[in-house]
Amino acid sequence: MIQISNISKSFSNTKALNNLSLNIKEGSVFGLLGVNGAGKTTLLSILNGLVDIDSGDIKIFGYDLKKQKKDIKKISSIIPQHLAFYEKLTVKENLDFFADIQNAKKEDYEKALQVNSLEKLLNQKASSLSGGQKRRLNIAIGLLNNPKIIYFDEPTVGLDPKSRNEILDSIKNYKKLGITVIYTSHYMTEIEKICDEVAIIDHGELLIQDTLFNLLSNKISDIITIEIVYQEIVDSLGLSVKNSSFIETKEGELFNTINLLKKNNISIKQIKYASTNLEKYFLDITGSSDA
Amino acid sequence: MLSAMIKKEFLLVLRDKHALLALFVMPAIFILIMSVAMRDQFSTNTIEFTVYAQDSDKTQISKKIISDIKEDKNFTLVSHKTEAQFLAYIPKNYSKDTNKKIELVVNKSLKSDQIEIFKSMLSKHLLSARFTSMAETLKKYSPETSKILSSINISNENLYKVKYNDLKSMPNSTQQSVPSWIVFGMFFIIIPMSTIYVNERKQNTLARLNSMNVSILWMSISKSIPYLVINQIQVAIMLGVGIFLVPMFNTSALEINGSLGAIATISLALSVSAIGVSTLIAVSASSSEQATTIGGIFNILLGAIGGVMVPKYIMPESMQRISEFSPMSWGLDGFLDIFLKSANASMILEDALKLFVFGIISLIISMIILRIRINKGL
Repeated sequence: MIQISNISKSFSNTKALNNLSLNIKEGSVFGLLGVNGAGKTTLLSILNGLVDIDSGDIKIFGYDLKKQKKDIKKISSIIPQHLAFYEKLTVKENLDFFADIQNAKKEDYEKALQVNSLEKLLNQKASSLSGGQKRRLNIAIGLLNNPKIIYFDEPTVGLDPKSRNEILDSIKNYKKLGITVIYTSHYMTEIEKICDEVAIIDHGELLIQDTLFNLLSNKISDIITIEIVYQEIVDSLGLSVKNSSFIETKEGELFNTINLLKKNNISIKQIKYASTNLEKYFLDITGSSDA
Repeated sequence: MLSAMIKKEFLLVLRDKHALLALFVMPAIFILIMSVAMRDQFSTNTIEFTVYAQDSDKTQISKKIISDIKEDKNFTLVSHKTEAQFLAYIPKNYSKDTNKKIELVVNKSLKSDQIEIFKSMLSKHLLSARFTSMAETLKKYSPETSKILSSINISNENLYKVKYNDLKSMPNSTQQSVPSWIVFGMFFIIIPMSTIYVNERKQNTLARLNSMNVSILWMSISKSIPYLVINQIQVAIMLGVGIFLVPMFNTSALEINGSLGAIATISLALSVSAIGVSTLIAVSASSSEQATTIGGIFNILLGAIGGVMVPKYIMPESMQRISEFSPMSWGLDGFLDIFLKSANASMILEDALKLFVFGIISLIISMIILRIRINKGL
């Protein structure tokens, strides 16, 4: 369990985090959302013991961050957004180096290799790897100490959909292994795909923390999409239906909307509840398109 | 942990071809070029002048002057005016009229001190010819006086006994070049060090290492040790160039008169200083381009002030005082003391101590800056 209680952090005159509190369950995949500069990376750096807090308390798996930073670092790992390894070294040299400085066990080394499918790439220079392979090496390094918590700071930036899906699948596997994952990403679909719980922060403050299920079912499920056809235009051209558009309405306004469409000779092709969309919710709550 | 960090640093430097060029090849080439190029400037060998002489007097005295010039190893008598640095015209009646002067036409490229040396050397022959002539004349009237006059040898070797003071001996071109470019080359670790450091910081590798319980102190120590070793290899190679390679180009070989312990002491202290400055620049710069530019300029300035580019003893006194603030000057003084004054470790301790303290202070400041930068996520 990670308990973050009323933490604040300022850099010069800028308040990066303001009285933020969060509770993260052990073994969950926790999504951390916020626009650029919201305080996500600062929060991850604090949880990793890289940045000190000005006030508040943090307890991670029973360890007090202020007093037991070294113990916390031993059980956690950060996968930075940047490729934090050495391009001039081979995959093996990189893994050996990071394993040696952490006294990693051989089985953890092998597991990190296997989970990230790096066995055949061991003698390749890191600089010659593809974007996806580099990301996998970046993640493998983070697994060498067999962490209980892994912090992912936008690990799929710049990747093609296939590589992105591979990484998301591997993160799902960490959950099966009982690892707690804290995940930040600009891609809401990724958060929807892998996270159990989500927190949205803005200007260093917590806007909401809830399970993904609650957020998507209770807060935005009343949006209904109606697919309409401009029947008159289609008929006059003697064509089969090709052109259609979508309009949105809410559940309470559905009846009135249908009547309005009928009066104007606009045919309804189908009515469906809007697909669960975290992005819309995020934009509503933060008032921004810059996630 | 430390061995893994040191191994990593070595691998990174050894795979950086540009760094290897800057650290080993560049100073070796500089030593070779500068030793050979400055050979004559630093030389204490015989001075040689080319002279074209025209005798319009055609007397015993004027003929003796010409024959003395011919025999003098400092002069080369040439038959064409264009080949000569000096044209000496002996006027008619020079022997009879003591007010007559020899006319000298001097090549414009010659410096005033060279002209003075030439005049001093020629005067010796003019006086000798006059004495010989006087001795011949006096032979009939006063054979004793004539004998005394004939026995006078007015060469400088007979007038002065020159002894070099060991404590103020001048270096030859190799003795000046080798320590200069050793010192300069050692400070060039700024290039690989800053490139690796800035990349590690920018890509959050340092933060990652810190999150793996690697303290900033360990990071600094593990980075310093490989460069300490690299610096010592540089010193060995550069000394080798001075001792074995430079003589192949008809230039004096490097002579090491001091103790090897003294060389080790000054080169280790110099290395600590170079590592300190390099780390300070590396952690302060925001990009590797910035670090290498600032580092390069800083190196050249320290070198110019410290007597690497221009020997300190030819600087004006005010500049010599300024040069005392350059760590390169402390290192250079140490090496010159060893090469020229047979200094042992205790004699260069003051220079070594200054370098060591300077390096350690720079390292402490850079660790504080790095701590702040990691804490701010920069």
